[in-house]
Amino acid sequence: MSKIRISVAAAALLASLALPHVAHATMTKGELVDFLKAVDLRQKSQGDWRSLIYMEQKEKGKVDVAYEAVVFRRSEDQKFIILFSQPKASQGQGYLRIDKNLWFYDPSVGKWERRTERERIGGTNSRRSDFDESRLAEEYDPEDNGEVKLGNYNAQVMTLHGKPDIDLAFPTIKLWVDKETKNILKREEYALSGRLLRTSFYSKWKKIYSESKKGDTWYPGEMRFYDEVEKANSTLIVIKSVDTKSLEANLFTKAWLESKSR
Amino acid sequence: MANFFLDFRIALRSLFQHRRRTLFLIVAIAGVTGLMVLLNALSTGISETMIRTATTLSSGHVNVGGFFKVTSSQCGPVVTDFAKVVDIVERNVPEMQHWVHRGRGWAKVISDTGSTQVGVTGIDIKNEPDFKRVVQVVSGNIEDLAQPNTMLVFESQVERLKVKVGDAVTLSAQTNRGAANTVDCRIVAIAKDMGLLSKFGTFVPVGTTRALYQLRPDTTGAIQIYLKPKYVPEVNAIAARLRKVLEEAGYRVMDPDANPFWMKFQTVNREDWTGQKLDVTTWEDESSFLTKTLMIVDGLRVVLLVILLAIVITGIMNTMWIAIRERTREIGTLRAIGMQRWGVLRMFLLECFQMGLLGTALGAVGGSVVAALINSASIKVPLGVQLFLMSDRLHLAVHATTLVKAGLTITLITTLAALYPAYRAARLPPVSAMSHFG
Repeated sequence: MSKIRISVAAAALLASLALPHVAHATMTKGELVDFLKAVDLRQKSQGDWRSLIYMEQKEKGKVDVAYEAVVFRRSEDQKFIILFSQPKASQGQGYLRIDKNLWFYDPSVGKWERRTERERIGGTNSRRSDFDESRLAEEYDPEDNGEVKLGNYNAQVMTLHGKPDIDLAFPTIKLWVDKETKNILKREEYALSGRLLRTSFYSKWKKIYSESKKGDTWYPGEMRFYDEVEKANSTLIVIKSVDTKSLEANLFTKAWLESKSR
Repeated sequence: MANFFLDFRIALRSLFQHRRRTLFLIVAIAGVTGLMVLLNALSTGISETMIRTATTLSSGHVNVGGFFKVTSSQCGPVVTDFAKVVDIVERNVPEMQHWVHRGRGWAKVISDTGSTQVGVTGIDIKNEPDFKRVVQVVSGNIEDLAQPNTMLVFESQVERLKVKVGDAVTLSAQTNRGAANTVDCRIVAIAKDMGLLSKFGTFVPVGTTRALYQLRPDTTGAIQIYLKPKYVPEVNAIAARLRKVLEEAGYRVMDPDANPFWMKFQTVNREDWTGQKLDVTTWEDESSFLTKTLMIVDGLRVVLLVILLAIVITGIMNTMWIAIRERTREIGTLRAIGMQRWGVLRMFLLECFQMGLLGTALGAVGGSVVAALINSASIKVPLGVQLFLMSDRLHLAVHATTLVKAGLTITLITTLAALYPAYRAARLPPVSAMSHFG
């Protein structure tokens, strides 16, 4: 008898592990939007931001490339800089976002080039939005896909559809968010055609106290992007350190970026 | 006239009398002529290949393209509501033979084993008889481009993508609004390479470019106008007229810029306007990055020929001085028996004329034979050389008019080279010439 009970219990346990956990109650549109806003707010610094990052790109048939760069952000007017510091060949190169325009500077030619928001940063599979503040609630409408177990996490799954008249690199995103912490765990980005283009994993979430926010700001210690069209291509971003102290007033200018290469 | 023929015979006999010297000069003249023929043939071959390639793959004789800017920092190479533009073209370009419209784009082609960035041209294969005639298909069926989501690639792209007819590839690009998009295509034809332009170009149905870039049915990349053959030299004048007519019809037209459309994105993105601007270009503009190379080849050709001709002229003059010195008594005798100064002048000029004529004739024939042998060998050239030759094979184009021009030019130059020595010979006093010991 005890053997039968053990067998039944084991079968029940196996069944519970095999079957995905499904939300017992679907979230309303309003709840989803609030959830998404919370995801954004968790990563918002509401002030200045400086981080040291390491980027590595693996591409099939090509030599791996690696960069070290510093990212500067100002939430107030959505200004943004990425300044490359390694390797030597890329020193002084950088991206500057001001007035909704993204500019690239190459000190070897001394020229500024206007780039689109969909620019692959340093030729990797990362975009400006991967380093900038999260604005998912502003740019997308969420759709509930229930809950699943992702590793050890209970994840809320959502499909985000780009809002009309907003220019987005990925019109559709599927998001897995840790229900408890509201940290993004996984992201799938789709083309207009519905084809899966990129899968991203976010891990080693860390927090830093932000004076301007009067609270903690969360950021992923590691981001991994996998190209789903050209398999074997991948990008790793590691955020080594973060500082939320105020930055110089004239930092987000072309002159400042140019001065870094002199 | 009788005197002329007499002088002609004297000149010819003199050439035979000094066979070695004559042969040496004739060989030198033949060599320069042959080289001139070959260099001209190379330059003409490059030019013909360029016109053929450019007007098949990427351009008409005159093009009406343009850019549409959704925002001031983002543009796409499209012409919206193109039917109206076609109407204006048809009414104002009577030199036109026919027109086609093509989609323009740039995308990544990804196969199972490789990827490459290519220019994507959308065509309506049913209305492109010239394209079908010029592009040589080595595998597959070009007519299948009429089916949606199909693709024609060139041999060099096949090497990179490792695909064959029937394989599926993915086209990945951004729409004009910056959204990522993909279209899956099937390879239906593989074509022989047509020089550098074919290394970076692929062809898909025009509907596929519209799907990839999310364009409306009334939008195209460019209207390519093909002129009747006799009006092709007038492309620039026709393009200028078309710009004026389009402006008068209310369109914003870009200033003339002798560069292909894909080199204008940076400039256009920097400008602050939005909406549609048209860009009228010629085939020379669209392949200007190639014509610059042709100018370099032509320049080198001219420099080389000038140097060689200078050497030949020096040789001829030197030989004439020696001949005059050796034949001073003969000149004196001829003058004494009644030959006038201009007769002596004519005699020496005729000698050089005959040498030049014979040398250039031999050189022209020799150069033509060598060119024909090179063409029949169909020599494949390395990629670096293809940049200069505009073809993956060495192709020399010899035309009768070029041969005649080369022959006449060099004959004239060699004849004129003898002018001064002949003039000096004609001015020799007969008495002192007859008693000259040299």
